[in-house]
Amino acid sequence: MGGKSKSIFRLGVIMLLSLSVILSGCGGGNNKVANSGKGNNGNSGQVTGENAANGVEPFEISVFIGQPDQQPTPDNKIYKLIKEKTGASFKFEFLAGDIDQKLGVMIAGGDYPDMMTANQKLTAAGAFIPLEDLIEEHAPNLKKHYEKYWNMMKDPNDGHIYNLPNYGATNADVNSSWYSGPAFWIQKDVLAEAGYPQVKTLDQYFDLIKEYKAKHPEIDGTPTVGFEILNYDWKNWGLFNPPQHLIGHPNDGGVVVKDGVAEIFADKDFAKQYYQKLNQMNAEGVIDKETFTQNFDQYMAKLSSGAVLGMFDQHWNFQKAEDVLITQKKDNRTYVGLPLVFDESIKDHYKDRPALNLNNGFGITVNASEEQQIRIIKLLDTLIQEDWQKILAWGIEGEDYIVKDGRFMKTQEQRDQFTDATWKLANKADSFFGQAPKMEGLFSDGNATDGAAQPEEMQAALRDYDKEFLSKYGYSTYVDFFSPAPENDIAYPAWSVDLVDGSEAKIANTKLNELQTKFLPKAILAKPGEFESVWADYVKEIGKVNIKAYEDRINEVLQWRKDSWTVK
Amino acid sequence: MEQTLKKNRADRTPKKDKKITWSLIKDQSQLIYMSVPLLAYILLFAYYPIWGWTMAFQDYKPAKDFSDQKWVGFKHFEFLFKDDNFLQVLRNTLAMSVINLILGFTTAIILALLLNEIKKIFWKRTVQTISYLPHFLSWIIVTGIVATSLASDGIVNDVLMKLHLISEPIQWLSHGKYFWGIVGVSNVWKEVGWSTIIYLAAMSSIDPALYEAADIDGASRYRKMFHVTLPGIKPTIIILLIMQVGHILEAGFEIQYLLGNGLVVDWSQTIDIFVLKYGLAQGNYSLATAAGIFKTVVSVTLLLIANGVSKRLGEERLL
Repeated sequence: MGGKSKSIFRLGVIMLLSLSVILSGCGGGNNKVANSGKGNNGNSGQVTGENAANGVEPFEISVFIGQPDQQPTPDNKIYKLIKEKTGASFKFEFLAGDIDQKLGVMIAGGDYPDMMTANQKLTAAGAFIPLEDLIEEHAPNLKKHYEKYWNMMKDPNDGHIYNLPNYGATNADVNSSWYSGPAFWIQKDVLAEAGYPQVKTLDQYFDLIKEYKAKHPEIDGTPTVGFEILNYDWKNWGLFNPPQHLIGHPNDGGVVVKDGVAEIFADKDFAKQYYQKLNQMNAEGVIDKETFTQNFDQYMAKLSSGAVLGMFDQHWNFQKAEDVLITQKKDNRTYVGLPLVFDESIKDHYKDRPALNLNNGFGITVNASEEQQIRIIKLLDTLIQEDWQKILAWGIEGEDYIVKDGRFMKTQEQRDQFTDATWKLANKADSFFGQAPKMEGLFSDGNATDGAAQPEEMQAALRDYDKEFLSKYGYSTYVDFFSPAPENDIAYPAWSVDLVDGSEAKIANTKLNELQTKFLPKAILAKPGEFESVWADYVKEIGKVNIKAYEDRINEVLQWRKDSWTVK
Repeated sequence: MEQTLKKNRADRTPKKDKKITWSLIKDQSQLIYMSVPLLAYILLFAYYPIWGWTMAFQDYKPAKDFSDQKWVGFKHFEFLFKDDNFLQVLRNTLAMSVINLILGFTTAIILALLLNEIKKIFWKRTVQTISYLPHFLSWIIVTGIVATSLASDGIVNDVLMKLHLISEPIQWLSHGKYFWGIVGVSNVWKEVGWSTIIYLAAMSSIDPALYEAADIDGASRYRKMFHVTLPGIKPTIIILLIMQVGHILEAGFEIQYLLGNGLVVDWSQTIDIFVLKYGLAQGNYSLATAAGIFKTVVSVTLLLIANGVSKRLGEERLL
């Protein structure tokens, strides 16, 4: 065998291998003719929302989820039920690593699964198909579900609907017992020791922390930290966002919207007032010296130690640290969110009505065949119906929840299961459900769509420490610390505006963030006498950035939303 | 038998004026076939991608055909060179690179010389293994270790406090002036053991007769180090140096990205981070490509200069 035939042989092997990879990739869609009709009388008595036209012909949908997650177990009971009733099974791919990198590779190769979670990069690259006609024709239930939000879902750039938002299409305003948003957080013990005072302003807040820190220089052997400011990577709101809340505005990201017009606040006087306060607090030793050099893990480790008295953050961001404190039985070291403002004349607006979660949820890609597109939209249409929604949110009646006098409830054992990640992989369809269109608010029988919003569940889930703590304030949940959310501005929230990659607006935004990251810590850590000069430098540098391009882009989209979202 | 040997030897001696003839090609066909896969590999992965440089002169949008792209000339290069931060970023990159180069070379050579002097194989192996193990850690872990050791209750501050060298903990990572040093030292910690391997290999190939001769002349250990060992590994050092000069614009990315923060950004931001922020993170692949071209051009130029200098000095060279 000469060198020539060898290299030909090698080439042949390589081509054969790559061909087989390509073929297996393409063929995944429809050549599964498995046990179609079998066993569809199983434990599915409560399901009626079967799509008759679709029958139970099995098919597989390849799905990409844009966040890290774990594969469900092969015998997951909910997916099994979906397969039995609708024929659909899912092949999930989860994000590993960096989303931009992953999508960049996918886009470069044009290699998409059938269904993907939304991303502006994908839309810009033309990866998604417009869904309006598909929904009109094949999905009456989805159409009904999104009726009120139809215009909002359209892409401002070309007026098509590419994604089905996973959250925010609500049918009733239900108070959840769990506030996931931004607030100034304070350790419960600080309030308890001060005699459960009402804390409204920033000054009161820092006074309490100072006092407590002076009295307890150490907590469980760790030096007490007064206030933490997390600014690591994209988690920058701990440093950037508080000023807008302190003057009574909701979270609009980098701008405040006054009378429908957005402008940045990073260099405004009320921002200066906040950072100057932090500067004083730093001089008095309240702020953690390491706060600007720590990474997210170090931050979480500090919170989990129970020695941090306060911080500005979004609840979901540090929830894991709170879980650690609860398992250690340090209930008094967990946190209460406070909607602080500059002075008592300002009304707080931290809590907001859920806005439609734009640029999130599933879209169908151009790689799905026409037949597959119809099957997918029909499947989603089936699953948005109430009986399926109950299964996806609450589980199977009798197994995962109980019904008493028509009210849904859980036993303690069931409640514990719902926080057990391993159990969930086998018994919940969360990877799919988290991204899918879903009912929010109330079912037609009056039960809440979400366990955390069912009043009976809220009370039962409270621990003794919290029950007593809340009773001192006369509240029933921690959400009561916040003013009720007023009606949202039609164009709210400004943070979901797509600045368009590579545009002047986006570059201005990047530069602004860079300046904030650089100057704000400097200003806070400066000697009080030097604060003014650092601040002046900072404002001067911001003046050099093309802020107008950034504000113009946001205002343009806000105006577009106002024009096209208003229900006529 | 003897004849064939002679013939072979005659074939191998290079003749400058030898023409490439069909018979020669046929004679060496097996060699040529053997080189085909490698040649294909190089063409495919080193030369074909250069085609992508066209991106730098377009407003490149993915998923569009080449003919549909918009050509913009030198727009992205202009953005790069006109940006206020670019000079600073370039300075940081060069500074950290030079620090890494100097620290990296000196420490590795010194450690190699010391290891070479150890006569007990067991100790030598142990030290060597321990010193090159960090090479296998990823930067994310190393930066974690660095950040933890430099924290106010970390080991560095602890030791300095116990020695009464400082009265209160130093916030190492919040002062720009320390940053380059921290990067340099971390690099040394991670790579020093690994870099010694190649020098040790070079040292082992030095003719023992030279040492014996030096012994007879009554040379001390230091004399032997300076006059036998070091000259013995000089060619290796020079080749590595030339290769390193080509990488001068690559001061690393992970360590600065992961250890950097707002307070030290004026010292920590490198070209790669700049490109990530304004190029890749914004889907602006054209800018990233333009920066890539800039780096390549600078690297190749430096490499050629270093090679030329080395040639002039009558030393070893790469090309």
